[in-house]
Amino acid sequence: MKNKETTNCKNIRNRLNKIIGDYLSFDAAWVQNHIVNCPKCQKRFSSVGKVYLAFSLLKSRPHQLDLLKQANIQTIDTLAHSVRHYEKAEKLKIARPEPRFIERLLPIKGSLANTAACIAILFLAKTGIFNSMEKFQANGQKAIQHYYEKQLGQDFSNEIFSS
Amino acid sequence: MISKAESYRLLWDFALPESLVASQKWVLGTMQSCGPELITMLWRILGNEQDVCDAYQDTFLRLAHCENGIKPRNIKAYLFRSASNTAISILRRRLIERKNLPEIAAVQKTETTADDLDSNNLQQQLRCNIARLPEYLRQVITLHDLAEFSYAQAAKILGITETSARVYRHKAIQLLAVWMNKEEH
Repeated sequence: MKNKETTNCKNIRNRLNKIIGDYLSFDAAWVQNHIVNCPKCQKRFSSVGKVYLAFSLLKSRPHQLDLLKQANIQTIDTLAHSVRHYEKAEKLKIARPEPRFIERLLPIKGSLANTAACIAILFLAKTGIFNSMEKFQANGQKAIQHYYEKQLGQDFSNEIFSS
Repeated sequence: MISKAESYRLLWDFALPESLVASQKWVLGTMQSCGPELITMLWRILGNEQDVCDAYQDTFLRLAHCENGIKPRNIKAYLFRSASNTAISILRRRLIERKNLPEIAAVQKTETTADDLDSNNLQQQLRCNIARLPEYLRQVITLHDLAEFSYAQAAKILGITETSARVYRHKAIQLLAVWMNKEEH
């Protein structure tokens, strides 16, 4: 009960945040309309934009590929002698930055989704869900046919369902 | 001379207590798991490879010798806060050096093109102003914008609520915008 309430509260807060975020963001139409007509806000907007631009420039500047290796070597050399030749230390001395697991999966996202769909279909076929669905459909058709027979007669019913 | 230094190093190693050696082993594990993220953050704060290596080394040595080699409760929090503080001190030192030696800056300016200069100036301005921010605002900016942690992760590292982290970041951006705009005029 308590868990359900907590989840509900969290959902409401998330929804509220999203609504407020959409309404108050710089991209909202009423904010854009105001900025067009207000010189002070234009200035504010451009100065905030400058900060974001500077951040994106900082982020886009790459460092040398072996910076991690260099930093590791420099640090390991100052640790105790016995630790310096540890297997992990040796690995760190040749380490290179690698993209995260999720980033590595991005190029094969489509094929992964297709494979997952195939597995799901196989699972459904294996568990007999498709067979049950066919049975359910056949039974439903029979019931309707029976209803038509009762209401309209055998001839009409045969004419409808034979086609 | 080098061999003499090496022998002193070995002697120093034998003099190290067992607990310290053990602590340095788990430091290697931390280096493996947090190293790449830490390097990215330090590179963005400092923009100089030698300074990044120095700050990285300082941070891990501090971690290895922290409380006589006892693991801190939240290693990641300790590591990133310590690294950010070390990097900011190095950055402040570099800024003072640059102010005192204007001829170095002049030589660097002549060697770069106009576009490079604009981009470099903007990055340098941002770094200077981040170093000027009060600590509680600066920590959020470095963790959220430079180390690219989510608000929740940054808040956990700093021991504040997610809402506070959002508010602090907003304040920091406003301050940075005002300062960067003032410098231009």
